[in-house]
Amino acid sequence: MSAPIVRAASGGRFLRNRVLLPLVGVLIVACAWEATLLVYQLPVIVLPAPLSVVQTLGELVVTASFWHDVGISLYEFGAGYALGVVGGVAVGMLMGESRYFRMTATPVIEAFRFIVPFAWIPLTILWFGTSFTGKILLVAYAVFFVMVVSTARAVAQVEPTLTRVGTMLGMGSVALALNVHLRAAAPGIASGARAAAAIGWIAVVAAEYIGASAGLGVLITNAASSLATATVIAGMIVIGVVGAGVSEAIRWLSRAYLDYR
Amino acid sequence: MAPDTDPRERASAARRPLGPRALAWMLGGAGIAVTLVAWSLLARALEGGGGVISRLPGPLLVAHDLAAYVTQDFARDLVSSLWVFAAGWLGGVVLATLTGLMLGRVAVLGNIFLPVVEAIRPVSSIAWVPLSIVWFGFGFTSKAFLVGLAVFLVVIVYAVDGCRRIPDDLARTAAMLGMNRRQRFRNLILPGTLVEVLIGARVSLMSGWGTVIVAELVAANSGLGAHLISVQQSYDVAAVVATMICFGVTGFAMNALFSAAEERLLPWRRIARADAHA
Repeated sequence: MSAPIVRAASGGRFLRNRVLLPLVGVLIVACAWEATLLVYQLPVIVLPAPLSVVQTLGELVVTASFWHDVGISLYEFGAGYALGVVGGVAVGMLMGESRYFRMTATPVIEAFRFIVPFAWIPLTILWFGTSFTGKILLVAYAVFFVMVVSTARAVAQVEPTLTRVGTMLGMGSVALALNVHLRAAAPGIASGARAAAAIGWIAVVAAEYIGASAGLGVLITNAASSLATATVIAGMIVIGVVGAGVSEAIRWLSRAYLDYR
Repeated sequence: MAPDTDPRERASAARRPLGPRALAWMLGGAGIAVTLVAWSLLARALEGGGGVISRLPGPLLVAHDLAAYVTQDFARDLVSSLWVFAAGWLGGVVLATLTGLMLGRVAVLGNIFLPVVEAIRPVSSIAWVPLSIVWFGFGFTSKAFLVGLAVFLVVIVYAVDGCRRIPDDLARTAAMLGMNRRQRFRNLILPGTLVEVLIGARVSLMSGWGTVIVAELVAANSGLGAHLISVQQSYDVAAVVATMICFGVTGFAMNALFSAAEERLLPWRRIARADAHA
């Protein structure tokens, strides 16, 4: 499971830096976990042993309802993320390009941006019940503001020389925005897209946690209310693995299409 | 503002009588006004029901509920929420900065523990709620832990990124100028990292504040989130929206405060940013 903050390595050091040392890290965490159990004599409800979590996880992944939950969470995430990124980049570009639009939209965007997605959960449940629509809109909402802010910032930070060169070559403001600013801002937009993936995934789980009929959030809530702590932790691991997979996919996509560095 | 006027003249004509600040206020006010009008129209259109969003209270109704809440329990709830937020956020930022510096600068530690951090990161802080309640109970500690966790997992990425993204030529220049390791850390790596940490801290304001809501929705005995869930359970949509506005306004105020502090804390920031983009 590679990650944005894990350094890339090549050749013979790959084995050491990307396989061996991460395994050491996992081992250290597992040992600390077992030691805590031994020292404090915690009951299973509080903290089950690592092995029993692994066993629970193994039993979980062979059931069909588990994959159904994963599929539903991924569907809600994917639809909401696509909506949010497209809308966010569009509005962010407008804010970066037009001073007047930025001045007009900023107070509204800021006001909504700080009504964080989680605060909308009770309202989306009142409006859309436990349907997909509410969750997709919630994810789109969460992703949208991350993209607006990162896109507007990236466009504002584009090297002024590029704008001057474009103007000198006779580009109009639209051509300048699409062919110069958007491309120059692409790395910033890409890092926004990566951050938005994590936030969107969190929003999915949060929404399912409070009101849904299926999904990984529901899996955890149900396990928690029956005090099956091993299943709760197993579910958290699945959320982490799927979230990392999603981040990795989006990182790969943004590398391939956005980040020219 | 006729289209045939010279652009320079047009710009100065727009600027002189108003000034950029007055213009920003005017346009911003216009933006808010348009939003309010759109909201009123939508509420009017949906009044008869029929659509999915059958219960959309108009701005006036929400303002009425907002006034009622602000004059009653708002201050008490706000203090309770802010206290949880402040404890969790400060703890999270400080811990993340220290850990990030350690894992970012010491390659072996980074290789060992960053995959662990990265594996925990996508697990939403809300997924920790049941565990946190089992571990710390329903009170302050549990909520502050969740907020701290959420903030930590955001800020550590910026901290690691920041202390690694310091341009190599700057580090080489510093070495060439005869700076020792300590001097390079103090004058180059630390400020470079803090610039990124500050961006992370700003981003984490939102996730931290969001986690306060989540924690209070679930483990609620006090705070704005507890109020939100109680009015939701009585299907009082206007009061729900009013409480959401309270969350928004508080978050907005925190951001403004943070921006002001940012300017004061890191006067070198603008220079560092210019360098990074050179």
